[in-house]
Amino acid sequence: MDLLFQVIVNGLLLGGLYALMALGLALVWGVLNIVNLAHGALIMLGGYAAYYLFTLLGIDPFLALPLVMMMLFVLGYILQRYVLSLIARSPMFNTLLITFGLDVIFMVLAQLLFTADFRTINPSYAGTHVTWFNLTFPTVQLFSFAVAMCLTVGLWLMMLHTRIGRAIRATAQNLSAARLYGVNPKQIYALTFGIGAALAGAAGDLYGVVSQITPYIGATLTAKCFAIAIIGGLENPLGVIVGGVLLALIESLTALYVGPTFVDVASFGVLVLVLIIRPQGLLGKTA
Amino acid sequence: MSTPILSLKNISKRFGGLLAVNGVNIDIMPGETVGLIGPNGAGKTTLVSLISGTLTPTTGEIVFQGHNITALPAFERARLGIGRTFQIMKPFPGLTVLDNVAVGALYGTTTTNKALSQARDEAMEWLRRMDLHSKAQQRAEELGGPDRKRLELAKAMAMKPTLLLLDEVMAGLNLVEIDEVIEAIKVVRETGISILVIEHMMKVIQSLSDRLLVLHHGQQIMAGTPQDVLNDPRVIEAYLGKRRV
Amino acid sequence: MKRLLPLLLIIILGVLTALPWIAGPTLVQFAINALMLATLAQGWNIIGGFAGYASFGNSIFFGLGSYGVAIAMVQWNLPFGVGLVIGVVFSVLFALAMGVPVLRLRGHYFAIATLALSQVMSAIFSNLDIAGRNIGLVLPLLRSDTLFYELSLGLLVIATLTVFWLSRSRFGFGLIAIRENEDAAQSMGVNTTRYKVLAFTLAGIFSSLAGGIHAYWITFIDPNSAFDLSLNVKMIIMAVFGGPGSVLGPVIGAALLSAISELLSSTLSSVASLFFGVVIVIAVILMPKGLTDCWLRFPVTGWRYFIHNIRQHRL
Repeated sequence: MDLLFQVIVNGLLLGGLYALMALGLALVWGVLNIVNLAHGALIMLGGYAAYYLFTLLGIDPFLALPLVMMMLFVLGYILQRYVLSLIARSPMFNTLLITFGLDVIFMVLAQLLFTADFRTINPSYAGTHVTWFNLTFPTVQLFSFAVAMCLTVGLWLMMLHTRIGRAIRATAQNLSAARLYGVNPKQIYALTFGIGAALAGAAGDLYGVVSQITPYIGATLTAKCFAIAIIGGLENPLGVIVGGVLLALIESLTALYVGPTFVDVASFGVLVLVLIIRPQGLLGKTA
Repeated sequence: MSTPILSLKNISKRFGGLLAVNGVNIDIMPGETVGLIGPNGAGKTTLVSLISGTLTPTTGEIVFQGHNITALPAFERARLGIGRTFQIMKPFPGLTVLDNVAVGALYGTTTTNKALSQARDEAMEWLRRMDLHSKAQQRAEELGGPDRKRLELAKAMAMKPTLLLLDEVMAGLNLVEIDEVIEAIKVVRETGISILVIEHMMKVIQSLSDRLLVLHHGQQIMAGTPQDVLNDPRVIEAYLGKRRV
Repeated sequence: MKRLLPLLLIIILGVLTALPWIAGPTLVQFAINALMLATLAQGWNIIGGFAGYASFGNSIFFGLGSYGVAIAMVQWNLPFGVGLVIGVVFSVLFALAMGVPVLRLRGHYFAIATLALSQVMSAIFSNLDIAGRNIGLVLPLLRSDTLFYELSLGLLVIATLTVFWLSRSRFGFGLIAIRENEDAAQSMGVNTTRYKVLAFTLAGIFSSLAGGIHAYWITFIDPNSAFDLSLNVKMIIMAVFGGPGSVLGPVIGAALLSAISELLSSTLSSVASLFFGVVIVIAVILMPKGLTDCWLRFPVTGWRYFIHNIRQHRL
């Protein structure tokens, strides 16, 4: 029984990070209608940025978060403004293809620049943990969960209560109407993609602390982000938390009770089922 | 009097808490052009979708040429002879104007395997009648407003329907263009098929319909000749009520 | 030009048929691989290029075909041909069973559902004893590249003829109508559900046969290589690069891109993949309608063709 509770705790903590990973993907998908296959690669780049800030400059990965997010924001802004906006009205295959091309480019560049070695960010407090009610809470997981929650709720509040947030939501609703209200769509699109990339960067930073980074993690992470975004729905950032926690729980419970080799059957099977039964996501409004 | 080609029997459609269409009974006779008017949100487009099969009614029965079609999917209704145009024009944007119409000739009420060339010939015939043949090789997305409407008519007519549903064909046109499209619809009417015209503009409705129905809040509040209906105080009220909002 | 095209195709086909007797073994091996990719791109063209459904699930059929042959030959000692049939039967069953619910989804949702399905299938096969679990299966060795070459060429020819038939049949016209506007197609009498499922099945049959031949040729399969997602991405790139919805576009796209990546990988493999990524990005921006459209219009408009494309598609 203790084991079950411990697995649930681990799943919840991991679920927070999952939510943050998928948050940027869901934002870009919902607002720009771009399914970004390079999202996992952006997470990977965020991980490397945090890794080098830590190993070369000694900056703690949690303190480095704003810096990493800024770097990825700039990258995302440039990508959307000068590359992706060129095909904004192309057929859907083309958006999928171009982001896949970017995914390949980032992966190969990472491999050339950072080598294929496994990297982990190891601050002094890594490996410590706190114990409540006989359950173990690793410090870094607890921190990253808290940060992920803050960022997700932060994005939600930003979308609801700031000028930029309202402009982004207006653009998502109706591009031509937004134009009439004096919103520059190019600017808003680039900002939105930049924010999505910044969130991916933050997720990568935390991922580097709790797990390992290689140039090749991008594709798997993108697939996970799809699952999370679809289970949670695209309408509300808080849905992503539900999606992230659910996916993490499904993964850890399947690994415990069925076997580790069935994790992908369960997680992607749930994704297919959700798509078929409720394409608007578990929390989305019924049509 | 002959039997109606289309009968709606006590049709209702509910979306969640909203009763979009509420107990509507309509009969359309062969060769008759019926106008359907009503303020925005009265349920006109919903009614068209219920007849064409894009939506299924919550209650009630739809009979077309003696068949109960209430549960049939849209493509089977098209095969039985119900053609429609969409309020938001839905051409096949990347295909040529000719091929847009050829889809109607190839499918529609044709169920046998017709050769593409024959379908294109039939399509060309309708393009001529709609005065679009000079633009046959242009892509549909390149067409302007009134041409798009004529394309919609040609596409629907190439299906060889016995009942045509026209859903606000005039939306977005100026007065000169509206007259052009009215002429095009008159060409269609001369083939002797039944037409249900949904329209906002009284001028269009008056010049085309034999009979007029008024829908308000999902209910049919009035039916009769265009003259009678348009002078009826209930109709005027329904429209003025809308204007105040 | 129009008159010469059939003649030209016959000459090319003749040379291709004779290739194993003209060319060296390295070229033949490269050609077998390129022919397989072309067949897969052509299969994807049916569901993706004609019907407009961006399937990431065609690698499922490739995997089912591979495992059909592998399981039949290794576990049941059946001949290769029977294995191919088994693979096709399972692919058809899969397409019919999953096609109905999954093809109801549109746009990105369909793409992601098929992508997830291929992950599920890969994970299921890595848990099946009969499929050799994670380790995979080793097939009996047959050293006859000529046979594999001619089989692959024959399959590609049949696939291309099928697409040629599609391009001038009522069925193909209906699929194009679905791609252009599914609601309008439905209201004009196209049985959209049946058409989409049939297109998915047809695409599945060709992918499955390609998988079966490939498994016997390469003599080893495991879940990762059989249900390889990047293979699916390759088919899409080749079909889209060549011209989705055209008859020869996917074949030309596959031939060109295979040749480029072969030439590059012989020098430096990571630079080759970098170049591949850059080519995709630039091709999508400059010629979003594929090589065949560029081929037709570039002579007319010149360099303005690319500028026009950007103007037309940018935000």
